[in-house]
Amino acid sequence: MAGPILSVRDLTTVIRTEGIRFEVVRGVSFDLYPNEILGLVGESGCGKTMTALSLIGLIPAPAAQVTEGAVLFGGQDLVAVSERQMREVRGDDISMIFQDPLTSLDPMFTIGHLLTEVIRRHRTISRSEARALALQALKEVELPDPETRMNQYPHQLSGGMRQRVMIAMALMLDPDILIADEPTTALDVTVQAQILDRLVGQQRRRDVSMLLITHDLGVVAAVADRVAVMYSGEIVEQATVEQLFSDPQHPYTQGLLRALPQSRHQRGALHTIPGRVPPPQFTPPGCLFSPRCSQALLRCWEEHPELVSDGRRDLRCFNPQPLTLA
Amino acid sequence: MLEFEESRHVSLLRRAVTNLMRNGLLLSGTILAVLVVGAGLVGPIIMGGDYELINFSNTHATPLSEGALLGTDHLGRDTAIRLFVAIRVSLAVAVGVTGLALVVGLVIGTVSGFRGGWTDRSLSGVMDFIWGFPLILVAVLFAGGLGEGLLSVILAVGLVNMAAIARVVRGEVLALSEREFIEAARAGGLSNWRIIRKHLLPNILAPALVLASYYVAVAIIAEAALSFIGLGAQPPLPSLGQMVAEGRNFLQLNHWETTVPGLALVLMVLSVSLIGDGLRDVFDPRLRHEAKGLES
Amino acid sequence: MRYLASRTVYMLIILAISSVAVFYAIRLSGGDATAARLPASATEADRETFREILGLNDPIYQQYFTYMGRLLSGDLGNSLTNNALISKMLVEHGRNSLILGVTAFALVFLIGIPLGILASVRRNTFWDGGIMSMSVAGMAIPNFWLALLSIWLFASVLGWLPSAGCCEPKQLILPALVLAAEGTALTVRMTRSAMLENLDSDWVRTLRAGGLSEARVIGKHVFRNALIPIISLAGLRIGQIVGYALIVEVIFGWPGLGQVLVNAVLRRDYPVAQFFSLVLVVMVVLGNWLADLGYLAANPRLRKV
Repeated sequence: MAGPILSVRDLTTVIRTEGIRFEVVRGVSFDLYPNEILGLVGESGCGKTMTALSLIGLIPAPAAQVTEGAVLFGGQDLVAVSERQMREVRGDDISMIFQDPLTSLDPMFTIGHLLTEVIRRHRTISRSEARALALQALKEVELPDPETRMNQYPHQLSGGMRQRVMIAMALMLDPDILIADEPTTALDVTVQAQILDRLVGQQRRRDVSMLLITHDLGVVAAVADRVAVMYSGEIVEQATVEQLFSDPQHPYTQGLLRALPQSRHQRGALHTIPGRVPPPQFTPPGCLFSPRCSQALLRCWEEHPELVSDGRRDLRCFNPQPLTLA
Repeated sequence: MLEFEESRHVSLLRRAVTNLMRNGLLLSGTILAVLVVGAGLVGPIIMGGDYELINFSNTHATPLSEGALLGTDHLGRDTAIRLFVAIRVSLAVAVGVTGLALVVGLVIGTVSGFRGGWTDRSLSGVMDFIWGFPLILVAVLFAGGLGEGLLSVILAVGLVNMAAIARVVRGEVLALSEREFIEAARAGGLSNWRIIRKHLLPNILAPALVLASYYVAVAIIAEAALSFIGLGAQPPLPSLGQMVAEGRNFLQLNHWETTVPGLALVLMVLSVSLIGDGLRDVFDPRLRHEAKGLES
Repeated sequence: MRYLASRTVYMLIILAISSVAVFYAIRLSGGDATAARLPASATEADRETFREILGLNDPIYQQYFTYMGRLLSGDLGNSLTNNALISKMLVEHGRNSLILGVTAFALVFLIGIPLGILASVRRNTFWDGGIMSMSVAGMAIPNFWLALLSIWLFASVLGWLPSAGCCEPKQLILPALVLAAEGTALTVRMTRSAMLENLDSDWVRTLRAGGLSEARVIGKHVFRNALIPIISLAGLRIGQIVGYALIVEVIFGWPGLGQVLVNAVLRRDYPVAQFFSLVLVVMVVLGNWLADLGYLAANPRLRKV
């Protein structure tokens, strides 16, 4: 396998509000390889979105700041580059799709205007060439009647159509990396599958590496190559999809799998993980998952486990047990 | 039940006081208002004296001069005594009338929003109509009909402020009506009156009060402005605007005749605005955004 | 189109209702119209004849239509106090008012919007604090008091500008600024909060993710969105300026419609009071309607559905 296209090392993001300082991303490291889809999974509030925003420098400054770590891409460290250089990267080399398509497009401008504005920001081409490029991208995401849509405003499109526009906008300049943050969560169930299908189709055709952020393990199982599970701002387990689903090791991963409806790991009533993700300002001294873990040892309460790799899987747990079919 | 109500009352009061102490805006506004209102209410009693009393032997006195705390005007009338009476006039028109407007506006807005249908369309049509006109113009129109005097100012302030309050109350009621707890109350078969009294009013009262405080400020300014151009309070009854206007003729001689009532006016408006901002912060931070749509 | 039509119909209804209201209010209260025109020695019979001639004995709805008919045919009548032609007053004073009003209206936005934007992009800094304090002061200081202060400072103490009069550009500066003050203060506040609200929206992140510069995101997109609430309240600004013109024109001796109306009311010159009340009411209603049109033009969500 070729080297990674994106390498995230010990990324730490801190939020300071009203004198309180807390880490929302804690020393996250992962690699993204060419043409692969890496799923980043976890409950809401676990730091998935903050991780993604930290990669492309879109965290809400000055309250939030990347304090440590590096994001290596194309021979430069994106954490260290200037905002001006970062803007060259955003939308062109690395682009992003957001969760809520209904509010993610400026309501005052037409679809065509929004798309061509981004194109002409990165390419010195004429307006009509830019429009042609935008139209082509809209066609590829199978937006119905793209010529008309170009002249319409966001409110005239359905949620699913708007998400297609978002995908077109993110992919039209053939980026190296696409970050998709819960791209289907806000959509109708019937539309979700179509959008996911378009997204992956485009990802394959354009040879884009994708970081797919979701809380939905079903989506990950369907499309991702590898998975990183996040809990409370840190990665707790990372493996290929096959490994993770056939032999989950971390109790949190196991809990997520058990909570999947209709999964083969689940019998009878739906499972839930007791408790909830603690707010980031609350940090247990040992393993961050220990307060909710059913197999925590004394050590888990006292000592913070490191992410340990056996070459095939990364795991942050002192007491991994085989998955029990409870 | 009674005990419960009692204790809730006490805790509400205590919370109000705590918030008052913590909220700088509200505190400074309240102190300022207490001073101004106190001067208006208590001043005439302590000072005694006659605001009409003319004394040609002591005209244009400066403040702190012999026998005249805040000086005298061109007729030798005591500025302090006149100022206190003028503050009363201003408070009566602004606070009194806006208070009445608040009650009427609450009723109209609530009925309009709660009943919906034709009741709503006609009531809110009338309120929108009135609200579309600036207060000063409405007052001048009334003055054109009724002749100049405080009555036209009172009618204009009452009418326009009532419309403004009713519009916002209606909006709040409409928004609340769609909330689950109101729907639940309706589904539970509670009478309309009970829903309004137990569920709607407590939620509307705070924003309505905040709003009313802004309109008090608007009314203070309007009364003074109209009196300034001679359409408001008629002599010999003093009013802040009228005192400023009279003093204006003697700016070179003794600017205090204008400055004193002018400053009093600015302080009054400032205290009311501070109270309004403070109330908004205490009751409902959400109103921060709505306040921007709130205009004279 | 439906929005446009409904706003226009609404405007016409408001116009009709308010013209009736103004007419009735002033006609009903006009007291004894003969008192102003006829000498005190006139007999009751003379007065009755006079009323008959003026049509004051007709049913009031008929008087309304007679009056409106006369207005539409261009016959505006004369002033009771100096017999001046009202039509001539309208042209002269109307022009002066228009100069003052339009200048003030322009100032409200030309000063208010840039300051509001500056405050929002420099949120919680010295600039923001300074601008917002000025805005609070602008709303708390009654504008006739501001007028006196500015006359005192710029005319008496510094001697830079004349204290009153018409219609040199120099004489326009103070009244226009004073007339614009409160509207400007409100516009600053509104612009700031509208900018901040839009800066927090999801689509701003999308544009940033597309690599657009902050100048472009804020200057073009956020501003364009923030303009909507500002335009939607432009009608109120017009009304406010018409209302305050009544005060400001009197103070600065600016011979406009407001001054004419206030003087007519004080002198019980009821034909003049009636006509100019009507004129100002029409201006307010038309102003609101124009603002509605602006809102329609600025908001794509209303243009095409």
